[in-house]
Amino acid sequence: MDWLEQELKQALDRKDPATDFAERVRRRTRGDGFRTALWPQRWLAAAAVLMVMAGAGLGYRQYQGNQAKEQMMLAFRIAGEKVNHIQAQVKERTR
Amino acid sequence: MIGLVTAPQTGLNFDALMRTHQSMVFSLAYHFLHDREVAEEVAQEVFLSLHRNLRNIQSESHAGFWLRKVAVQRAIDEGRRRARRPQVALDDVAEPSTHDAQQDPLLRDRLRRLIATLPESPRAVMILRYQEDLDPAEIAEILSMPVATVKSHLQRSLALLREKLARRSMGEL
Repeated sequence: MDWLEQELKQALDRKDPATDFAERVRRRTRGDGFRTALWPQRWLAAAAVLMVMAGAGLGYRQYQGNQAKEQMMLAFRIAGEKVNHIQAQVKERTR
Repeated sequence: MIGLVTAPQTGLNFDALMRTHQSMVFSLAYHFLHDREVAEEVAQEVFLSLHRNLRNIQSESHAGFWLRKVAVQRAIDEGRRRARRPQVALDDVAEPSTHDAQQDPLLRDRLRRLIATLPESPRAVMILRYQEDLDPAEIAEILSMPVATVKSHLQRSLALLREKLARRSMGEL
């Protein structure tokens, strides 16, 4: 090993990171663990939200169905009254 | 007990590994990136990765090899991401300016600066050779490159450094 290589060894010697380096890494590993522990809860929350949305969707469709049914019944009632009225007029004229 | 993680199969302890290897990991990143703050960030990421992969580490020596490999790879990735130094051919590496040399006349500082300007592969080879005192075969394994390429990077980088230093000495006369 010549003088340049000796100098390179000195120039590239190991240096220490900041004194709180290990503590900062530990803090971040706890953060990792915390996030990992939260995963099942997050999935459950997402599933609950999806179920509520699906339920709301079904309820809304049922409400729309009922509305359509009521409008149909009203239309039948009006049509029936009209038919009765026309029948009464026809009877009067044929008398 | 907070923060202590021990792999059940091997008994390797995360805190102990971090204590043993933090200087090595930090220095690899620091010499590669020449920025203390960024090097600490890279070193933290390397140890977080070790924490997640502790169960795959088989022994203390495997941990050392794994940490060197991941540290170099992360430093290369960070260097590319930041693109602070455009990649140049080895022969085109610039010398530090005369102004800098007057402010910083120490040879070791000059060498660190010159190494920081090398393209990524020769830079990684030089750092692993002279910081970690690894032989070309070990460096080749870490960097996944042929031993002949490692030797070539070493020879060319040393020749280049000699030339740059000689040119500087001539300029100073």
